[in-house]
Amino acid sequence: MKRKISILTKNAVKIGNISFDNPIWVASGTFGYGTENPELVDVDKLGAIVTKSITLYPREGNPPPRIVETASGMINSIGLANIGVDKYIKEMIPIYDNVSTKIIMNIAGTDINEYVEIIEKVESVSSSITGYEINISCPNVKKGGMEFGVDAAMTEELTAELRKRTNRLLIMKLSPNVSDIVSIGMSAQEAGADAVSAINTVVGMSIDSNSGKSNIYTTYGGLSGPAIKPVGLAAVHKLFQKLSIPIVGIGGIVSSKDVIEYVLAGSSAVQIGTANYRNPGTGENIVDQLNQEISDSKWESVKEMIGKVKTLS
Amino acid sequence: MIIEKTVILSNNQIADNIWEMKFESPQISQEYIGAGQFINILPNDDWGHPLRRPMSISSVQNSNISIIYKIFGDVTESLSKKNPGDTAELLGPIGNTFTKWESDVFPILIGGGVGLAPILNLKSQCDSADIDYAIIIGARNSSEQFIDHDPKNKIYLSTDDGSLGEKGTVMVPLEKIIKEHQNPYLFACGPEPMLQAIHDIALNEKIPTQLSVESYMGCGIGLCQGCVISKNTNSIKEHSYHEQYSLVCLDGPVYEAKDINFD
Repeated sequence: MKRKISILTKNAVKIGNISFDNPIWVASGTFGYGTENPELVDVDKLGAIVTKSITLYPREGNPPPRIVETASGMINSIGLANIGVDKYIKEMIPIYDNVSTKIIMNIAGTDINEYVEIIEKVESVSSSITGYEINISCPNVKKGGMEFGVDAAMTEELTAELRKRTNRLLIMKLSPNVSDIVSIGMSAQEAGADAVSAINTVVGMSIDSNSGKSNIYTTYGGLSGPAIKPVGLAAVHKLFQKLSIPIVGIGGIVSSKDVIEYVLAGSSAVQIGTANYRNPGTGENIVDQLNQEISDSKWESVKEMIGKVKTLS
Repeated sequence: MIIEKTVILSNNQIADNIWEMKFESPQISQEYIGAGQFINILPNDDWGHPLRRPMSISSVQNSNISIIYKIFGDVTESLSKKNPGDTAELLGPIGNTFTKWESDVFPILIGGGVGLAPILNLKSQCDSADIDYAIIIGARNSSEQFIDHDPKNKIYLSTDDGSLGEKGTVMVPLEKIIKEHQNPYLFACGPEPMLQAIHDIALNEKIPTQLSVESYMGCGIGLCQGCVISKNTNSIKEHSYHEQYSLVCLDGPVYEAKDINFD
């Protein structure tokens, strides 16, 4: 097993009781299982890899078309296509033992029992994974857990059940498609989550004016990319005002400047999503850019920037 | 697979709305293995259009790679404004290739609309291997055609309006040519209705056929799982963990007609 020694501590961040070499993670569903493109990416440079949502049973995903580009963004409706937890344990977890980057396993379910069963299965085997990110907000699948993400009580119950079953890092991934994201975040915190990540994709639709048809098979999908960065920043900033647990910022990050904005809004770490589709090396490039950016700035470290945005009112 | 910053060597309109662009691409050209493969091009550095565009390779000569593209929207429009000396970032080579075209069969190559590039590439491969073949190129009208209709040399054009070559779709010459030759083997790329018609004739008349399919693509490297096509159970297994779908970027874009469904 290889373990790297961090020489760059100015970008190190702590989430729960885990220290990450840097705050640059890659988002679930945008980086596969983390091992697909060794020739294009040096994953060792990333703070963490959040792997694609895993469900109790394998899922085929939705019929095509699943993807369409929109202005400064894209809409996807993949439908949680994944290998299922048993195959993840058998085939992926052994690989992760030899990866020095921290692995966060993203989990999706249709009822509390499914989430619980997945975590119990993973906890029952020896593994080097660092923690779990819980998808309570995937807008793609009719039964895909939407009810947890929009309801504070359900979020609290789910978080509490999962907290009982693992001492690993537990991160609840919040949906922006709610009336009050802060109350959902508070519920996750109350029930023992180590952190929240925000935001998941924004519900969107795309229509072809020539054919009059929807561009996505399932009609609605999840909007991501730079188009949603302002939505993500506002969510992170609102959460930061009320929560004491760390926030992992997500939404439209393509550069180190975007990372700094998310950190100033209140993120302790961030996830790169859609930008990975354009270039899976975006995360590692940002790690380098961020080092330079911080060196050139008045800040000593990422940590001291968290939540330090100067608001004007 | 490589991400390479390339220099554009030429960018010329070759027919109405159809352009050919050539890149100096020493790395990707080295890894290229044959007709069918494509590159994912990033036309602009800004994030107004976040995704790359998949473009089939129409030829590779030494360190040069060429594509043929049709202007569809903002991105292809901006591609057509590029000048020699400008740079373009390519990801590639991606995908599999047409196979079996050199064995004991009579290849019939069929290209339509945006599907011309890999078919012209396969044509060059047949030419250099001295293989007898027929080629059919379909377009809406004569202004979109840039090859001469030359049935004596088994080059057939079809246009929807009959302004050049045979009137109608590629199916008109195709049905004739199939009857005239032993062991026909079809290789096709083009718009979905064309591929569907060829898929039907392939299955109904049991003609071996390879189709290069189009799909909306998020990444081209298997990360997004967006570019699926419906497949027949277990017929294609190499990269996809799916039973029902195949990832066009990793398992395609070339499929045997019997292995996929248009539904």
